[in-house]
Amino acid sequence: MNDSLRKGYLGIDVGSVSTNLVILDEHAGVLAAIYRRTQGQPIRAVQKGLAELVAELPCPVEVVAAGATGSARHLTGVITGADVVKNEITAHAVAASQVVPDVSTVLEIGGQDSKLIILDNGIVTDFAMNSVCAAGTGSFLDHQSARLGIPIEEFGDYAISSEVPAHIAGRCSVFAESDMIHKQQVGIAVEDIIYGLCHALVRNYINNLSKGKSFNPPIVFQGGVAANAGMKRAFEDALETEVVVPAHHNVMGAIGSAILAMELELEPGKTGFKGFEITDLDYRTSSFACNGCSNTCEVVRIKVDGKTLARWGGRCGKWEMRDGKLDRKREKVNR
Amino acid sequence: MRVGIPRSLLYYKYLPFWKTFLTRLGAEVETSPLTNKKILSRGVEVAENELCVPVKAFYGHCMALRDNGVDAIFVPRVVSVEERAYTCPKFLGLPDMIGAVAGPLGLPPLLTPRLNQREKPREFKWQLIDFARRQFGRSKLDAVAALESARLAQRSYQAGLVGGKKPLDLLPNSRFNVPRSRPPAEQRKRIGLLGHPYNIYDGYITQNLVARLEEMGAELVLPEMTEHHELMQAATDVPKQLYWSYEKEIMGAINLWTENKAVDGVVYVLAFACGPDSMIQVLIEHRARIHDVPLMSLIIDEHSGEAGLITRIEAFLDMLMRKKKTAAA
Repeated sequence: MNDSLRKGYLGIDVGSVSTNLVILDEHAGVLAAIYRRTQGQPIRAVQKGLAELVAELPCPVEVVAAGATGSARHLTGVITGADVVKNEITAHAVAASQVVPDVSTVLEIGGQDSKLIILDNGIVTDFAMNSVCAAGTGSFLDHQSARLGIPIEEFGDYAISSEVPAHIAGRCSVFAESDMIHKQQVGIAVEDIIYGLCHALVRNYINNLSKGKSFNPPIVFQGGVAANAGMKRAFEDALETEVVVPAHHNVMGAIGSAILAMELELEPGKTGFKGFEITDLDYRTSSFACNGCSNTCEVVRIKVDGKTLARWGGRCGKWEMRDGKLDRKREKVNR
Repeated sequence: MRVGIPRSLLYYKYLPFWKTFLTRLGAEVETSPLTNKKILSRGVEVAENELCVPVKAFYGHCMALRDNGVDAIFVPRVVSVEERAYTCPKFLGLPDMIGAVAGPLGLPPLLTPRLNQREKPREFKWQLIDFARRQFGRSKLDAVAALESARLAQRSYQAGLVGGKKPLDLLPNSRFNVPRSRPPAEQRKRIGLLGHPYNIYDGYITQNLVARLEEMGAELVLPEMTEHHELMQAATDVPKQLYWSYEKEIMGAINLWTENKAVDGVVYVLAFACGPDSMIQVLIEHRARIHDVPLMSLIIDEHSGEAGLITRIEAFLDMLMRKKKTAAA
């Protein structure tokens, strides 16, 4: 091993809206972090993100272990060779307890989902995720910012300049939108509408997720939506306590996933990580409908340089394939 | 006469009884295939929108049986299976709901024995003897003999379940929902899997939940593993008795599990728009909370994405694993 290389741990969180990558040093300090939009192309996002991440590194780093999380974690795991592929709830909880060691509540609002994680001594004891509907999550805020012609980055500033939040129905995005239009048309200031929207989203979040769980401090608020100062203030209004937004709030999933990779305690050189060079590889995904039975499952195929790397998506598992190897066991079971 | 039994709803509870009974009366019994995309989407198309997803699937199963050319479809009206309690209102109205679309869909005649022992125990016997006479022209003696074999078949099914077999191990042709690989026994967590059998064991509706839980390290504890009368007894531990027998079983199971510390966590599956479940959900969550047993409710409907379900159960099991690790440390 080259002495000039620092040891680093890579974490990648590929969500529906954003793709986040971090490299941590051996003390879980952030060496480099990238937050970018997934734009519906998770593979491209990971490749571009890795390239940007390398460019941002202050020194050369040897990746000792890599982790993947987020809704595209399996896809990411396959193309990068991540050593640990874990769901985003665990990743977020792990990251929050790194930043605020005695954290007992984690509020997380992402692009398509929102989560509430309750911890006790650093261990998740309870969690809730929003059900099927994505009302009140980041993509709804995105949509409203586009509709109002205000960049999402400025949404928070508008919100905190409001004195009197307008009352907006938060149960459903469709109702919220028509409510907002109505308030707009009767002449309520846009700041008040935006802050009202933050209140509505917070109300919706608490209604949907708390279900008898109590929000005990310290409370950490993370996820892309935590960048919105209006949301932080609305949470503080509703919970009547301070809410901490960590410095790296938008890449917490990636941080958690890097810590999970670190927990594997791999020897240097033992990682499955395929290296930053994968940025140049030509990954192709395609899908087809299997006609083996009347389920007509949609099977996804990932190819690199014409060779099939992975396949998944069938209910019975007969197409299942990871790392170029067929899952023989499952195939036998269902034959 | 070829009689079709839809592989849906109470199939998972009573198939051995019904199949034996009908066969002994001289019918040739056929079941519909495992729920698949076509069955569910056809069911969703014709069923009332307010219904829960398993009842919607039932419509699709009836259509699949029609396509297989059966002479009749068995759609019993299960009103009550015990004194002073009912089953879900959907079971009471099932023959009417299916009957309402039978004409337009060209379904074969429905066999709809009415089973009700709300007022008197052992009423089933007379109701089924009457059914055997009217539908199959069989004597009382024949019917009693058929009932006796059916009871034996059902008893042996239930004995198998209490012995630790899963309904899918014992019901014919249920080969899906088999785990690919499982972590070693010492790493597994005891997960109580709660909910209606027609949701849990329908691998299409709940997306192979049983296999997925086992693959992720669950050692499943099922309500069926407890003798039925013990479940019912345990369900009485509430201030007011529940109206619905099947929900009582669920309530009894959570009461027993929390009481005996028989599980490390509970996964509770309920169907969106299920009336009885929505009522007992609160009781179940409360019970788990006061006994400090982690519980996760999974609400399913026909749009349920696989990703959401997997993420949730993965996170839930992760939580239990990490918890146990620290507790041990």
